[in-house]
Amino acid sequence: MSQMLMGAIAALSLVAALFFFRFWRRSGDRFFLYFALSFAIEGANRIALGLVGPASETEPLFYGIRVLAYGLIVVAIWQKNRPRG
Amino acid sequence: MAALIYLLCALTCLTAFVLLLRGWLAGGPRLLFWSALCFACLTFNNVLLVIDRIVFPTEVDLSTWRLAAALVAVALLVYGLVSEEE
Repeated sequence: MSQMLMGAIAALSLVAALFFFRFWRRSGDRFFLYFALSFAIEGANRIALGLVGPASETEPLFYGIRVLAYGLIVVAIWQKNRPRG
Repeated sequence: MAALIYLLCALTCLTAFVLLLRGWLAGGPRLLFWSALCFACLTFNNVLLVIDRIVFPTEVDLSTWRLAAALVAVALLVYGLVSEEE
């Protein structure tokens, strides 16, 4: 059950990344590139975590990568809101 | 160290949710609403992670609930992305 859920999350994360990648290609807005990268990292991370399995000693490392993925979203919005000088 | 990382996951996710929600409420595109909804579910996922790993490390196993929350999060986002395309 967990493996199936993990696979579905990974697949949908990668689909979301592709959508954001296309938005970036169309608009040239770096905001979408940050989102694409974030969800691509999250998708790859889920696959890796699914392969390693829970209760692994390296598990906190995967969550560190997750912090990085969420950080990209925060950076994307922060850059968008930054007043143009 | 692990506890700090789990807390950071929840905090960065919550920050992303608040920023996305504020962007949408300030008149941003509807995609921000779907993204905010996604990060609301992901924040729930990461709060469950903190409860699961730090608060009750041995008493409970919330892994299926955590995965279900994350799946709902990305499913809502992909739905939003597809409907924005139309």
